Amino acid sequence: MGASSAIAPRIYQALADYLKRDVQTIKPDQALREDLGLDSMATIELLFRIEEAFDIQIPDSDLQKLVTVADVTAYVDGRLAPASPATPRKPSPKQAAAKPAKKKKS
Amino acid sequence: MKTRVVVTGLGVVSPIGIGVPAFWKAALEGRSGITAIQPFGDLPLDAYRCRVAGRVTGFESMRFPESVNPDRVDRYAQFALVATQEALADSGLRMDREPPHRVGVIVGAGMGGMVMGEREITQLYQSLKPNRVHPNFIPTITLNSASGIVAMACGAKGPNLTISTACSSSAHALGQALTCIRSGQADVVITAGADASITPLVFAGFCSLRVLSTGFNEEPERASRPFDLARDGFVMGEGAGALILESLAHAKKRKARIYAEVAGYAATSEAYHMVIPREDGTDVAATMKLALDDAAVTPAQVDYINAHATSTPIGDAVEAKAIRRLFKTRADRILVNASKSLIGHTLGAAGVMGAIASSLALETGQVHPTANYETPDPACALAGISRDAQERPLKVALLNAFGFGSNNAALVLKRFA
Repeated sequence: MGASSAIAPRIYQALADYLKRDVQTIKPDQALREDLGLDSMATIELLFRIEEAFDIQIPDSDLQKLVTVADVTAYVDGRLAPASPATPRKPSPKQAAAKPAKKKKS
Repeated sequence: MKTRVVVTGLGVVSPIGIGVPAFWKAALEGRSGITAIQPFGDLPLDAYRCRVAGRVTGFESMRFPESVNPDRVDRYAQFALVATQEALADSGLRMDREPPHRVGVIVGAGMGGMVMGEREITQLYQSLKPNRVHPNFIPTITLNSASGIVAMACGAKGPNLTISTACSSSAHALGQALTCIRSGQADVVITAGADASITPLVFAGFCSLRVLSTGFNEEPERASRPFDLARDGFVMGEGAGALILESLAHAKKRKARIYAEVAGYAATSEAYHMVIPREDGTDVAATMKLALDDAAVTPAQVDYINAHATSTPIGDAVEAKAIRRLFKTRADRILVNASKSLIGHTLGAAGVMGAIASSLALETGQVHPTANYETPDPACALAGISRDAQERPLKVALLNAFGFGSNNAALVLKRFA
């Protein structure tokens, strides 16, 4: 159940723009934190762009599901699919092993 | 030998009460001041992820000094005015008997005059009439408007400063007041912290930053829960607190009531990240240690910590880790509480709120509850945290405050003896 072809390229492009790198270097199994170097603040900025691009709101409680690039595309795909709200998905191996992302103080 | 500095007056405007007696009674009862937010005009409320906050209520009836026109003062500065007037009256300081240049004012403010700031910006872009921007806009949003108006209201002509270091602003204001008196620049410093930025734009900004609690919108009083396993972000509060700091010699000369001694202060930067704390807690531990050194106090002497503890998942854990790192086995014998569990995070006022709670704790031996501390989180379990009030003779208190911009403050207060 991959992300639909319309959604994934836009997310890859958003990531590439945010990270200022070639879109070809972004792969589905890359972890946002460990592989792409996004800390919690950077992840939130990225998701802010994605929320705007797809006109969705991503609740805080869903953030921990978004570990890899594929998690993000699948999540957005699921959110935009008309009849399958919040479909539970098998966590990716990296997601299962991932440490919680850096969070903020205040 | 360093000049000794003491606290001789307290004043507060808070979500759990205006005036120290009301505040302290509610605090000891563990009463929450967190409620559901009201709609911001026509803006859709459900577009705010967080819908709870600690609002000050009953403030409309407050009276201001005759020399001040409250219409020209933003809400945060009105709070500061009321809190400082109470603190001054409480201290018994007679300004007509003080050399005015020996009395300073130092105020901590994180956001400043956002009520008017947001209103004027909105009107400008909607009306497209730059010539209708209010003449009082600039003096109101300038970040030192509170310290200026407080000095005018009480005739204090000494150093007049504003400290803005986000959430640690008024802890640094207290530290700078201590430094100011120690250095001989002033005998007395009217010290305050204030913020009132539960405003449409600032509140939305904190929502977007994903630092606020979002899981308790239907149960507001449960949303601020520092150190608890179910905590999910902080709750914005508003208010002001004020403490009169003066040299011990000056306080003795006028036979003032002394709540506590301000004995040590440390200011550090983690030089790490704008909003993320260094996760191993080393910088926080170092800050606490520097403040203890400044007070010539050892970790073994500390009885009570008023924690910064905002109720964010990582912030509380880092602070607890730092406490354990510095105090080792003593960490579980120190009473620890979080004033934000009651009033939310009052941003620029947070430091003075904690300092008022600490001063009263040292004087009375009573430590207010940490509301909603129901299930200890193993990541920040400290035996001295309780959702009940605790009572024990206390000699040394430590107050933590950390702010965006990678900055930390710690203060040491001692029971006066």
